[in-house]
Amino acid sequence: MTFHVVAQVALSGLLMGLIYALVAAGLSLIFGLMDVVNFAHGELLMVAMFATFVIFQATGLDPLLQLPLVAILLFGLGVAIYRGLIARALSVQFNRGMVQIFVTFGLAIFLRGAVQFVFGGDFRSISGSLLGDRTLHLFGLFVPLPQMAAGIASLIAFAGLLLISRTEFGKALEATREDRDAVALIGIDRNKIFALGWGLGAATVGVAGALLAGFYYISPNVGANFALIAYVTVALGGFGSLLGALVAGLLIGLVEAMTALFLEPSLKQVGVYAVYLLVLMLRPRGLFGTI
Amino acid sequence: MIRLVLLAASALLFAASAAQAADDVLIGAIYPLTGGGSQAGLDAKTALTVEADVINGNHNIPGLLGKGGGLPHMGGAKIKIIFADHQGDPQKARAEAERLITQEHVVAIIGSYQSSTAATISQVTDRYEIPYLSADNSSPTLTRRGLKWIFRTTPHDEMFSEVMFQFIKDMGIKTGHPAKSVSVIYEDTLFGSDSSAVQKKLAEAAGIKVVGDIRYRASSPSLSTEVQRLQAANADVVLPSSYTSDAILMVKGMNDLGYKPGAIIAQDAGFLEPNFLNAVGPLADGVLSRSSFSLDATASRPVIAPLNALYSSLAGRPLSDAAAREIVGLQVLADAIDRAGSTKPEDIRKALIATNIPGDQTLMPWKGIKFDETGQNILGTPVIMQVKDGVYHTVWPDDVATVKPVWNVK
Repeated sequence: MTFHVVAQVALSGLLMGLIYALVAAGLSLIFGLMDVVNFAHGELLMVAMFATFVIFQATGLDPLLQLPLVAILLFGLGVAIYRGLIARALSVQFNRGMVQIFVTFGLAIFLRGAVQFVFGGDFRSISGSLLGDRTLHLFGLFVPLPQMAAGIASLIAFAGLLLISRTEFGKALEATREDRDAVALIGIDRNKIFALGWGLGAATVGVAGALLAGFYYISPNVGANFALIAYVTVALGGFGSLLGALVAGLLIGLVEAMTALFLEPSLKQVGVYAVYLLVLMLRPRGLFGTI
Repeated sequence: MIRLVLLAASALLFAASAAQAADDVLIGAIYPLTGGGSQAGLDAKTALTVEADVINGNHNIPGLLGKGGGLPHMGGAKIKIIFADHQGDPQKARAEAERLITQEHVVAIIGSYQSSTAATISQVTDRYEIPYLSADNSSPTLTRRGLKWIFRTTPHDEMFSEVMFQFIKDMGIKTGHPAKSVSVIYEDTLFGSDSSAVQKKLAEAAGIKVVGDIRYRASSPSLSTEVQRLQAANADVVLPSSYTSDAILMVKGMNDLGYKPGAIIAQDAGFLEPNFLNAVGPLADGVLSRSSFSLDATASRPVIAPLNALYSSLAGRPLSDAAAREIVGLQVLADAIDRAGSTKPEDIRKALIATNIPGDQTLMPWKGIKFDETGQNILGTPVIMQVKDGVYHTVWPDDVATVKPVWNVK
């Protein structure tokens, strides 16, 4: 096992980790804001990938250039989901937690079924994009360009999210998260904040989907692969923490790759969960959690 | 008077057979209609629907099929297929098999794409004593569990792997560049484990070194590390056993790392799905796979062209290996029920045991269909295909080949 192989594997793991982190950031945002676990998060990712695919087919616009467009689309979808489903689920009088779980779970199954109904169960991919299937040979390492671009874009998206958290709106988000009843007293419309929070969370996963669509296969079930890892990432990084999602995503990508390299590849998720359990035992609120 | 009685009796008989003609023969079909393997399941549904239409209708298709209007020995009874969805989950497959038998009262079950689901279905059918026709499950162990009611028309992975190694040996002789090492890379469910175990045994027997042995988790988000290990092992020939999503990630991962093995010979499944070719495009060129079906063998199998026309008009794509195997599975099952002349499970089972169909009566390039005592078809002889310009061509054995194989082992 040469250093070169280890470096190559580490690079692949970290690039994948940046995608994991961005997917998890959207989930973390919603969870941190209103204690609702969105079980349809993987399906939002899938919808974003299909949206990118459809726009690419129709206009030939490169997935990377579509980022703002898909983000806006998903923002709208996120707000619609909050207004149409979540707000109603929050207003039920009994067993609210269960109702929320079932609502997002049902939404996941619906989205998957609807996309399969419209597009079929085929695996698709975007071919002929700007960076499609190209690799860079750098210091003896192979750097797949679409993944590299996705990694950089993911970091930019994180920077954007951090900036938003500094704004007036970001402060309102934070305040609503801390005490959703008290903010009403100072004139913050918590329904509006929640809706925007859902929009922002969905837009984040939308960016991840558009990036992923540039080099990954697209199918109605693709979200499930990423959703489970996103839940682990959020718990590992700490609920509601952006920095936590980033660090945990990178950590999971790296641990996964290293487990596959040094132990059995079929055990790579075991490596991830081992780290997860260890962190939960030593620091139950996650690496950067405050709750 | 006697004549009158005879007349009345024959009228009664006629009435009885007419009444019987109204009774459909119910066959259960369990496939992954939703979930990860759903496209394979939906294709199977189309394939079985096409074949049922051919049997029930009055088509002019040569061979055993479409002799006109249902099953002749059953008073022209029609075949009716009841589809069930196992979502690729063995436990759901078990429950659906039980439901089909106890509530839908099917006389036989056909299935099921993933071998792990066939394992549970065949347990249920053995318990309820109903024939299970395994049309497309290729795990060798399925017919080695002492079950009485499983019949498998498709060759299993061991037979496939034997052909792959015969091909490797033959190419070594023909080109003067024999393969000295292989790597196996396989998904961690029944299909991959069984397939790779046989390949490792056969490699050892052929004096070829196994330098890479990589078991990976099925449908994981990334296979880049796995491909990296493959590259580090640097074998002459790579032998993957993977379903579609993993096959896509593997080939894309090889491209990302600039890795080109001398030959990739796949164990069918994901690598032979039309989906795979669509998703990876030109990256698939040169990939070899064993196959039980060759779409381009129209010269020796006249039923391929009309069946393919029917199938592709519904599915929007040509017959795949899996779809062809599903068609043949239903053909064999319908033929057995017809010969049995009854829907009693024991009669159907006896008829299945007596099955002896020559290959040219089917759409397969096989020698034929004849079951041994375990229920395995012993006349299913596979072929090797290779992707060229985005299309699979038959390249081996020579007598059915349409294109010469490309062999890059140095």
